[in-house]
Amino acid sequence: MNKDIIGFWGYPHIDVINKYKKLFPCATWIDLDIDYNYPDVKFTPDAYCVIIKNICNNAFYLKDRLITILAPIGKDKCDSAYFVSEILKEHGFNIVQTVFEDKCHDKSLLKFPISKSKLPLREKIELITKNIVEQKDYSNLEACEAKFGFWGVPPNDLSILELFPNTTEVFGWTRAVEAGFPGDFEIETYVDENLPTIFFTQAFCSKTNLAKYLANKYQGLYIDIDAIPSNSAKAKIEAFLKLR
Amino acid sequence: MKIYIDAGTTWTKILKIENDIRDYSVISTRQLKDLDLIYNKSTGHSLNKSKETYENEVVALAYGAKKYLEDNFIALDLGSRDIKYVQYQNKKFKDMDWNCSCASATGATIEMLLKFYNVKIEDLKYTQEKYAITCGIFGLEKIMDDVAMGLEPSIAISKFIHGIAFNAYNFTKNPQKICISGGFCENKCFLDSLNQYCEVVPLGRFVLVDGLALMDN
Repeated sequence: MNKDIIGFWGYPHIDVINKYKKLFPCATWIDLDIDYNYPDVKFTPDAYCVIIKNICNNAFYLKDRLITILAPIGKDKCDSAYFVSEILKEHGFNIVQTVFEDKCHDKSLLKFPISKSKLPLREKIELITKNIVEQKDYSNLEACEAKFGFWGVPPNDLSILELFPNTTEVFGWTRAVEAGFPGDFEIETYVDENLPTIFFTQAFCSKTNLAKYLANKYQGLYIDIDAIPSNSAKAKIEAFLKLR
Repeated sequence: MKIYIDAGTTWTKILKIENDIRDYSVISTRQLKDLDLIYNKSTGHSLNKSKETYENEVVALAYGAKKYLEDNFIALDLGSRDIKYVQYQNKKFKDMDWNCSCASATGATIEMLLKFYNVKIEDLKYTQEKYAITCGIFGLEKIMDDVAMGLEPSIAISKFIHGIAFNAYNFTKNPQKICISGGFCENKCFLDSLNQYCEVVPLGRFVLVDGLALMDN
């Protein structure tokens, strides 16, 4: 089978992305963080971050087609990603580990056109992740007057984002990704303290600690969800949005 | 006549209002489908949430407890399968949480334990000791171990209930005063246990249906 896919997770260093774009101009880029419903290879413990499970399931399903996997392992991703990158190496995958911990030294220069836009929240987050590879300019997007905040990573099940109004601004790691600094802790932990914000993480992710801390600090709502949100988890978000 | 229902996992609370006269009742949720009730607003885990008449449980709690919450207290609803609270400060919503995924340390478990050990709720009394029930399943294991070693089941269940009370206090971030909604208002052992940590005001089982009526006006 022809190898025609470059797999990646998180936000590989931009220099590495550009290098591989030049090396393989016809390759299809696939974000391995996303759940494509491929068979469960049972490569991780049952109680484990579903995003890392997705990475394993996707990698094994696409193994014959993968040219390489660009594998962030630094503070811009997590230790679990580092471990899984080493394990995948042992299973014959071509892994390029990257660390993208660059800091933005002048935050005043940063614009967040997608995070602040009038787009539905789900579209905002899908666009930000899609733009990791595409690197298009979205500075022309119309900004909204934000009424709520969503802090966190792109959820495994994006349908929970449809509960939020379009006037929801994006914060957290996703915002740091839009800025091009996925490992910048200051960007990741920034929220507008005047906005009622929901602090979301995947269950079993080390960011649960940070989300819980920030939710208490800013009187937001902490919520962690495993693979698929329960009706009660959705109702909890709805209640917060209604009461605030 | 207007009808409001809160169909919990085990019990359904009903409020009927006719000519300003309020009639409250409780039935088993299993009986609800046989009644063929047409209601104005509804809430609770056992109902279809996509119906137009359905209201979010926490929102119903917030409305029902509003007169208490406006004095800066927390309203905590302890149900058969979940625990949720809302807090207002200076008449504005401040905080909420909803432990919506684990049912092992809530009302249904207590009912099950009482049946299993043939203990009456009146036999439960506050005990100074408590089980750590961060995980309710581990708490159940402690009860079974201690009963096997000769402890009275009523005392073991009381220690479990003290654990639930302590969890409720921590879940609401250690307030000075908590208003309690739900079936636990009728559980003296629970109220006495929680009272060791903060002032407790039982509001009864009909807070959510009162909230629905308020939302309907």
